[in-house]
Amino acid sequence: MRETPATTSRPYLGYGLGLRTEHYDSVLQRRPAVDWFEITSENYMIGGGKALHILERVRADYPMVMHGVSLSIGGTDPLDEDYLGQLKALAARVEPEWISDHLCWTAMEGQHLHDLLPLPYTEEAVRHVAERVCRVQDFLGRQILLENVSSYLTYTCSQMPEWEFLDAVARRADCLILLDINNVHVSSHNHCFDPLDYINALPAERIRQFHLAGHSHNGPIIVDTHDQPVIEPVWQLYAAAVRRFGMVSTMIERDDNIPALTELLDELQRARTIAAPILKSSAA
Amino acid sequence: MTLRALQREFQRALLAGDTRFLSRIAETPGADSARRLTVYAEAYRLRLREALEVDYPKLRTLLGPTQFAELADTYIGRHPSRHPSLRWLGRHMAALLAQTAPWSAQPVLSEMAAFEWAQGEVFDAPEAGVVAVAEIADIAPPDWPRLHFQAHPSLRRLDLSWNVVPIWQALDQNESPAPPSAATTPQAWLLWRRQLDIHWRSLGVEERWAVDAWRRGAAFGEICEGLCEWLPPEHVPVHAAGLLKSWVDAGLISVLVLD
Repeated sequence: MRETPATTSRPYLGYGLGLRTEHYDSVLQRRPAVDWFEITSENYMIGGGKALHILERVRADYPMVMHGVSLSIGGTDPLDEDYLGQLKALAARVEPEWISDHLCWTAMEGQHLHDLLPLPYTEEAVRHVAERVCRVQDFLGRQILLENVSSYLTYTCSQMPEWEFLDAVARRADCLILLDINNVHVSSHNHCFDPLDYINALPAERIRQFHLAGHSHNGPIIVDTHDQPVIEPVWQLYAAAVRRFGMVSTMIERDDNIPALTELLDELQRARTIAAPILKSSAA
Repeated sequence: MTLRALQREFQRALLAGDTRFLSRIAETPGADSARRLTVYAEAYRLRLREALEVDYPKLRTLLGPTQFAELADTYIGRHPSRHPSLRWLGRHMAALLAQTAPWSAQPVLSEMAAFEWAQGEVFDAPEAGVVAVAEIADIAPPDWPRLHFQAHPSLRRLDLSWNVVPIWQALDQNESPAPPSAATTPQAWLLWRRQLDIHWRSLGVEERWAVDAWRRGAAFGEICEGLCEWLPPEHVPVHAAGLLKSWVDAGLISVLVLD
């Protein structure tokens, strides 16, 4: 391990949820005990109407972060200036605590595949992604967070494990990391590595946010579907991540088969319950 | 192999089933390369299908889930996504249905797609203020002929030959819709957003002409002259004023311009 967790100071929002249309009414009427919300940036890159209206009402009461899915930071098409312009305009409106996207590619030759496709873990890809992250950060005027994705295949040309790739990109681009605990679990199963090797290798000072989520099985492969509750091994990995990194803003990411808000609040409470004694003992 | 060449091969594997990419996938215990690629290929198709289902819920009901899935696959093959947001994926659906067998044999399908797509455009169109009746009253009557109107950004006009709107409404109420039937002349419709809600109403023949005229930039005076085709000239001023008040009351007009 590189450093002790409690020594790393970072902005901390507490425990959050993804803002979903299914919960708009509950959130507005009940003002649930959620510390912050994450929005999917692309859902609000629109002219106007109900979604933006509700966004502003929720934002008035809660801190917010923006999480994108279409930056294609690892893509080899030119960076989409129109998209970046819309992202910056939305950020001016939302004033998020931070902006994140995924360490992946999503488009090729102008065609958007709307999936978080894995990158080869090569020196060429490190250079390519880091250079694009720098340009995005310059344009937005702020550091961004990159999230590790779940993957179902790796490439013969890869030269390093995923955690070294993520670490190298983050250091070279001087960006931050959104660590998806479920994605570490999913990829460790699909590619036969120890998830603790992943957690223990990352630079603690760059970890800004955790995602927790559920997944599904497709035969022998685990798929990151975000349509189920968080499972026990992921909670255990979360505990290991809290021990390793300390206080990190944590949220439940649920995108499909969306339950009542109360169910997600219960899951979020479990995250608090797991983290509290670990943080208390590391502070002692 | 460069990163770009690798991504191109991956994309061709996803979109066209090109198998050359399989040799680029590392052998890992648990699943073979073809199986691993299939997870991505299935997810791609499913995700785009779901986006079309969200945009076209009543079209899907009309076709049934199996036929809609076939339509979606055809659509995805012809119109892969060109936008970072799936919000815009389905914009060619009405045209594809109108031009492609077997769906082109049922024109009600294309018109349903046009109606549902227009609702989506209305729903998240840009915000704008609307003109109040008092603002019209403040304009001196001699100036009225020089008045131009700018539509609220959400305003959409459709001409529908089939009974699409009653079918949509019946399906929305979980009722059995009337069978598709065509009118002898297309019915004109307006769709727009008021506050946060989508509204629509049909237009009579002279109001249709008038709305289309001011949306093209015609001044109120030209609209009054044009209405003489349907009304005795002495009735036109009152009728035109009544139309204007109804447009303003409904929130169709965002800006008044005196040229």
